[in-house]
Amino acid sequence: MGVAAIESLIEVLRATPSSTAMETVEVVRKEKAKLLASTPNPLPLLAGADLFEQYLLRSLRGPTAEGSTGSSASDRVLSFEQTRQHLLDNKQLFAQRAKMARDNIALWGSRYVSDGRIVLTAGGSRTVTKILLRAAADPSKHFKVIYVVDGRNRRSDVAVAQLRAAGLEVETISPHKVAYVLANQKQINLVLVGTEVVMQNGGIISGMGTAQLAHLTKTVKGGIRRFYVAAETHKICRKTPIAYPMVNRVGVRQKDVSKFDNIGVDPAPDDAAALLAEQDEVDYTDPELIDGFITEQGVKMASAIWEMVDVYL
Amino acid sequence: MAPSQATHVPNLDNLIKSLNSLPLEASIESLIFLLKRRQVTGDECAKATAHVLRQVVAKSKWNDVDQLLSRVQSAGSRLARAAPLEPVIGNIVRRVLGLIRDEASEDRNVDDLASEAASDIQSLAPSAPSPQKAAPAPVRPPPTVVSTGLQVSKSMFNLLSVAETGDTPVTGASTPLSQAQTASVHALRSEVMDGIEEILDEINQADDQIAGFADIQIHPGDYVLAYQPSRTVERFLVKAASKRRFTVIIAGLESRNHDAITEPPYAALRKRLNAAGVNTINLASNGLMAYIPRVNKVIFGAKAVYQNGGLLVDSGCCIAAQAAHEYLKPVIVLCPVYKFCPEDPSDEVSRGELGNPSSYVSYADGPEVDALEVENTVTDYIPPELVDVYLTNLGPQTQHHLASILADHYKTEDITLGLALQLGEP
Repeated sequence: MGVAAIESLIEVLRATPSSTAMETVEVVRKEKAKLLASTPNPLPLLAGADLFEQYLLRSLRGPTAEGSTGSSASDRVLSFEQTRQHLLDNKQLFAQRAKMARDNIALWGSRYVSDGRIVLTAGGSRTVTKILLRAAADPSKHFKVIYVVDGRNRRSDVAVAQLRAAGLEVETISPHKVAYVLANQKQINLVLVGTEVVMQNGGIISGMGTAQLAHLTKTVKGGIRRFYVAAETHKICRKTPIAYPMVNRVGVRQKDVSKFDNIGVDPAPDDAAALLAEQDEVDYTDPELIDGFITEQGVKMASAIWEMVDVYL
Repeated sequence: MAPSQATHVPNLDNLIKSLNSLPLEASIESLIFLLKRRQVTGDECAKATAHVLRQVVAKSKWNDVDQLLSRVQSAGSRLARAAPLEPVIGNIVRRVLGLIRDEASEDRNVDDLASEAASDIQSLAPSAPSPQKAAPAPVRPPPTVVSTGLQVSKSMFNLLSVAETGDTPVTGASTPLSQAQTASVHALRSEVMDGIEEILDEINQADDQIAGFADIQIHPGDYVLAYQPSRTVERFLVKAASKRRFTVIIAGLESRNHDAITEPPYAALRKRLNAAGVNTINLASNGLMAYIPRVNKVIFGAKAVYQNGGLLVDSGCCIAAQAAHEYLKPVIVLCPVYKFCPEDPSDEVSRGELGNPSSYVSYADGPEVDALEVENTVTDYIPPELVDVYLTNLGPQTQHHLASILADHYKTEDITLGLALQLGEP
């Protein structure tokens, strides 16, 4: 999603006749706002769009402002016009890099899958699937997967099929069995999920049920279990959820369950169009519940996410 | 803490003394031997590794940076594999590899800048920074990728950046520089050896530097519980004793009863503390929890600190940490920076290492040896939640700032050294 936002903003850039730098930035900002308004869950788009905008703005600040960080060749700051041209030329490359980031995550992540153990996962993240496939390719590792499927999320069915096709032993359980399985299956040592966005504070906003899984991983007794999130760094979104209802306050339009009247009531049909469909709803997982993020730049603790944003934006 | 050794057994001091005369392979092998017999443990591993790697740099044949890196890597992973539960070895290897990369890239930059001045290839690029400016933050070529194929970068902008990171299989170190290279091999060798010398100095001074923070951490009138004080902790307490009046409670005595008990445990430490006017109390094992309410802080040394803040410690420390946690007493861990591992603990770590049980059951006691299975775990894993302060030689740190220490000391491309090891998982 983030990469899609970047791609569409590049098209905006292409369609905008080159005028002054600030004018271009204004156009990009306006289109970005339009883009974000078009979907009930703008966060994944926001992460990509913000990255794009900041990259564009960085060139206005000039090379001197980046003196401390822009020292390596891959990170040098171009002039605005060069930046614009670079972005126009390399649309394909960015998509390819995003894919490559996932491959790198698979490389880091597969180390966390241990021989003779069970990985518990949910949500149908492609990144997680990649990690598991990569680990399965390692002949020294024999492991099993327990997949939480709710019957509505088609992506997890696809993931399960892919894993089975690779010869992995995958068991599917329904969400209400998670606590029971965690408590009684001592072989589980890794709970691995993907995410839609990583918030600035190291929390994640991801498909409904992620927070529940994280809470249960921490509280169900027995053995050391780790809750890891696989996420590319371009999924980091510069927003910090601090007030309840968390996801609504950061801009996701879904049914606000903090209002008593809303509980157990379907929204009016004309409101429903503006809200996230029930199967797409998201929840917020606190950084304290997350043991680490598997990114393409290595495995980071939740507290390191803030630093990554802070240094570069 | 090396166990007491009989004189005929080869030991570390002799090895280090004889390193210069031994051929390289022999010195690596003899250290592996010592590591496998657990005759070199804990802090000494770090020192021994640095010494041997210094020999590798000095004696092995290499013509360019890539070769040197692979020599150090292979020797290093052999050492690390000999003692899988001594992560410090891997740390020192990583430090040396990072050092080589730094030195190599500095050399290359001097060449690069010279060639840039001559050619106009870089006309599109922003003007190259002046050499003086480059000195503190050297301009690096796209980061080196060795053997793992991992793409390395530190920016969120990576996705949009200009250079083709990772697309080209260029290892930054293999830039062909024919004449310049041969000339710089000699310089590089001596620079890297100087660097290793500095690492050795750091290891030697770390305890003193940590002790320098003693009077900040220990307040007058404190009751300090020291669990199995290691040499680092001893030095810390003695230093504190010179400035403060407090009481030391020494716990975890039971695992120290070696065959010949000539004097009460920690007699030397107690004597020095008493001389400085600090009271000491020796706790029998079962008394630990009862004393915790009276204690102000718990101090022990770590064998290693993992990326997530978890600790590898001598067995028993976890009990002290857990007890302190229950009573909300701060747990201070003394850990020099070289003990920070850029890895997460593996399952083996949390299971603990089994050691020699002969101090619990005498082999002279035949029936007992036959009938009982005696297990003696010598290491513990402490989860990060139980630790409050990580007192390093660079000052006290919290769990959340460990990542920046790791980033300062290790290169991302070396972190995966673990991939080469048999452990497989981190």
